[in-house]
Amino acid sequence: MKLLISGISALLLGVWLSSCNSSTSQQSKLDVATLPKASPEQIEKLVEQFIDAQEGQTIQIPEGYFELNTQLILDKVNKVTIKGAGMYKSVLSFRNITTGGEGMKIAGNGIVLQDFTVMDAPGDCIKTQHCEGLTFRAVNTTWTHQDLSKSGTYGIYPVQCKNVLVEKCEVSHSRDAGIYVGQSENIIVRDNVVFENVAGIEIENSDNAEVYNNLTENNTGGILVFNLPGLPKPFGSRTKVYNNTIRNNNHDNFAVASAGQNGNAITMVPPGSGIIILAGNEVEIFNNKLIDQKTISIAIASYHITELPIPNHPGWSPFTTNISVHDNTFEHKFGVPDLTKDLGKLIAAKCLKSQDIVYDGIIDDTKGKDVTKNPMNICIGEKQKDLRFSRLLIPASGKVTDIDVFNDLNTFNTCQVAVQTSPPVM
Amino acid sequence: MLKRNGLFVAVLVFVAVVFHACFVKNRATVHPSQIDFSALPLKKLSEYGFFTGNLSQMQPNEKVLAYEPVATLFTDYAFKKRFVWMPEGSSATVDADQPDDPLNFPDKTILIKNFYYPADFTKPTGEKRILETRLLVKDNGSWKAYPYRWNDDQTEADYKITGETIPVSWNDEHGQRHAINYAMPNKNQCKSCHNQQDAFVPIGPKVKQLNHSITYADGHTENQLTRWTKLGYLNATSETIARITPLVSMNDAQASLDARARSYLDVNCGHCHNPKGPASTSGLYLNYEQKDPFHWGVLKSPVAAGIGAGTFKFDIDPGQGKASIMTYRMNSVHPGIMMPELGRVSIHTEGVALIESWINSLKK
Repeated sequence: MKLLISGISALLLGVWLSSCNSSTSQQSKLDVATLPKASPEQIEKLVEQFIDAQEGQTIQIPEGYFELNTQLILDKVNKVTIKGAGMYKSVLSFRNITTGGEGMKIAGNGIVLQDFTVMDAPGDCIKTQHCEGLTFRAVNTTWTHQDLSKSGTYGIYPVQCKNVLVEKCEVSHSRDAGIYVGQSENIIVRDNVVFENVAGIEIENSDNAEVYNNLTENNTGGILVFNLPGLPKPFGSRTKVYNNTIRNNNHDNFAVASAGQNGNAITMVPPGSGIIILAGNEVEIFNNKLIDQKTISIAIASYHITELPIPNHPGWSPFTTNISVHDNTFEHKFGVPDLTKDLGKLIAAKCLKSQDIVYDGIIDDTKGKDVTKNPMNICIGEKQKDLRFSRLLIPASGKVTDIDVFNDLNTFNTCQVAVQTSPPVM
Repeated sequence: MLKRNGLFVAVLVFVAVVFHACFVKNRATVHPSQIDFSALPLKKLSEYGFFTGNLSQMQPNEKVLAYEPVATLFTDYAFKKRFVWMPEGSSATVDADQPDDPLNFPDKTILIKNFYYPADFTKPTGEKRILETRLLVKDNGSWKAYPYRWNDDQTEADYKITGETIPVSWNDEHGQRHAINYAMPNKNQCKSCHNQQDAFVPIGPKVKQLNHSITYADGHTENQLTRWTKLGYLNATSETIARITPLVSMNDAQASLDARARSYLDVNCGHCHNPKGPASTSGLYLNYEQKDPFHWGVLKSPVAAGIGAGTFKFDIDPGQGKASIMTYRMNSVHPGIMMPELGRVSIHTEGVALIESWINSLKK
């Protein structure tokens, strides 16, 4: 299946003016100019503390602005706490490193990262791999380039971890996802403030995740639940996204410097996306406030929509199945969906205005041939009146002019999916 | 007279005792067999006794054996001299079912890797500058990394764990001047590459890398595995060895483009990008044994490449050498884009050209 959407802008020419960039409403309290500058001795000592760390130890980061010229790596040491004097008081800058993508890189069990900022790493600010029992608490990651397309990839990046808690953090200006939990199990992401990233929070190929009480504001996309092919952990299931405020996620997609895309699915996310489920399984989205997304508040999509090849990998599926979306509130004041990405153009051309819920209607033939029989078990129990729901019917040709849109909410509001997560006790 | 003779004898005895003490003390640190492993890391490289004579000549001591992988890792064009030492009576073994694993070395093995730049690459044995010596030491079943930084006088190297940026310059084979800020990694950065399932492991000394001939200091040209076996450093049957496909040098005119490219990717990328390595997160596996083209990048879209993906869709887009993520990342020195992410601050032009022409040769 191909979406041949290029050229669609012609359909729209002269119909709308491109919407203005929205104003920034979140601002960080971080101000490094007021901080004492760490001396070369202090910096060297901090690097040594990471290298010499022993099990059970606490590495204290004093108040100050640390300009590092090498990575901080904790090499598989258990029960280590890395603690600063406060999120805005202990600040580690990696703008000067010349080798190594990540600023801080952590492996070990029973790790706590707390009360500091990591900024301006060339790749990821904090990558944690192979950790069992991992807490990020009141950690700030950000990039400070004037040009956001010069930002690094992920802010907070646990991968291949178990029992992960990310709470009370502030994450901004990631060129990909601010908080990105990949190939992990048993995850809580709560009480964070996440703004001006391409993706605010992303759960990818992970099991048992709960994402709640977060504020995601002015990202390109607020919260993503993705399954990508070909990975050691082939698939993820069971994510709950609830009680979040997802507001004004209309930021330009700066994942590629010029308006374009590459093989990273993130580059295809249209500005004005609240929540996107891509190739997800057992995902429950409820009690969220979705406010002023200009394109789609919630999108339910198959990996086919990316137009990337569909590899045959055991355990992985390109389809989204067993979804429960209910009891969210939707508000919108923007009338003009995104026109920079194919998916946005499609919504603009076919739905004409921003949508609360869009389902791409791409189904697995082995589970059924008729989308109106809901073979993928997509369950929508929204109470809001005048809910803007659209289901697409994309023909085999993929020709845009042949794509049909249906507003048959009743096809999807009679089933129920109970998603059972077992998040870590932390 | 007797008195004076007595004094003379006394002095002589004293001198002999002191000399003996010094000699013994000295002897205790002039050969690796005398190393007290519980005292590691030693502060100075000379204390290990790897070399005889002038340290900077890197003349190996008895049973300190030079070795060379056939496909070499690019490290900003630095030259490398590698040596291995194992305790008397112990030897390495091989598991033919794990061809990507290094030799299984005995406890107290030391691998010694010296990084240097000849002032003039057309005179590789001429004036040179040694920057660092990295030791890998196996003790109680696990490997430890000990980095040493050479002084400017080239008389000694001191243990240094925090890394450093060192300006270096040289004239290459074509007489062109190069100047870079060589990045000596910090101790924990070593593990970023020397890592299989979170355990610290050597990268170079694998059968697929050592199964070729080199010319030894004694003038003999000999297959390395043969030499290792003769010296008692290797215990492996020829049947075992024969089961492991050797890599080839990127400059081997006899070898196919495919073998040269896959060998290059194995040594430069495959230590991280394999199912047991830290880059397993990407699903991109570049070890030579990987058979599935998707996993070595063909029409594979990235997972967490971020800015490293550039404007391209696939790690390898067959026929599109320049428009593939792999060459884009090899062709960058931006630390958020470049691959490998450690071990270089410059571009390996010849390596990029090899991989580009290989991708160009691939059919969709």
